[in-house]
Amino acid sequence: MHLDLPLACFITALAIGVCVEALAWALRLWRYRSPIFPLINILLVFGLIEGLSVGWFVGGRDALRGVFPVLFMAGAVLGILIEGLNEFWLHAWSWSARPLLGVRRSIDKAAFVGVTWGFVPLLTVLLARLLMTLSVEV
Amino acid sequence: MTAPKVSVADRLHAAAFAIGGSGLVCAYWIAFFHSDLTLPNFVHNLTSPAVVKLATVYMGFESAFPLADLFVAVTSALAAFYLVGQDAKAVLFGLVASGALGFLAFIDISFNLLHGLYAPATLFRDVGLQMEALINVSCLVGAIWSIWRLWSHPLRRAEDRPSRLLDGALGVDAAEAGR
Repeated sequence: MHLDLPLACFITALAIGVCVEALAWALRLWRYRSPIFPLINILLVFGLIEGLSVGWFVGGRDALRGVFPVLFMAGAVLGILIEGLNEFWLHAWSWSARPLLGVRRSIDKAAFVGVTWGFVPLLTVLLARLLMTLSVEV
Repeated sequence: MTAPKVSVADRLHAAAFAIGGSGLVCAYWIAFFHSDLTLPNFVHNLTSPAVVKLATVYMGFESAFPLADLFVAVTSALAAFYLVGQDAKAVLFGLVASGALGFLAFIDISFNLLHGLYAPATLFRDVGLQMEALINVSCLVGAIWSIWRLWSHPLRRAEDRPSRLLDGALGVDAAEAGR
């Protein structure tokens, strides 16, 4: 089976999104206002924005050496933007009362999770390249 | 949490952090790794061994910046986020981001001056270096303005401002003495 890198990045980011949302649901970290929002989040934010646009566009074309900080930077900046939009205007999801790694206030949880978005494109590119290698071997 | 009322000056400051400190820094590094847009002309015109050596040193120096700029971009985005939320952490992250931005600008200016890249003759004929000079000056002016503004920002907590506490205590003493 042959996979090209943009598709591999998109699929990997979707998989990361499903894992994150499943974990958040199991630990009851946040709640969505509508059941359609997690699907939009996985498809649009994880798959298209963080996986394809940042992951593939920034880190999917040349050698990875040196570009890692840029992947994290772009992912985290977009993540903080998305969390800010939700926290102050959209309210598509809200935080439960449970502390998140010791963080209690909703605004701080949004900021913290915003920064951790930086790991998504980074992991996406690493796993997508691994997926490509495995798909060639198969 | 709904968006609290944000003054026009704070909106401008948040926009400066979000666009200048985060967005443009990301855009610069994406362009650096995927195009020649950010590179000075002398890196393309390797006319002598001395220029080759300078270009190698310059590229090595520039390649060390992404990790440091990651710190600036993330703290700037957090400063913008907390400014929009009118939270005291805006001052913390804003001062950290501005300090880091000023530090990086001084390192870049120092490198360019020491290697003769800001010599008028070199600067006038190289558009890439002119852009770099513009970035350096903008970072420095932005950092100083931001530090100056956050220093007296209402979100800065009173316990972090001993002079204010002292003024308050003196005010109370004076009021008591006047009774």
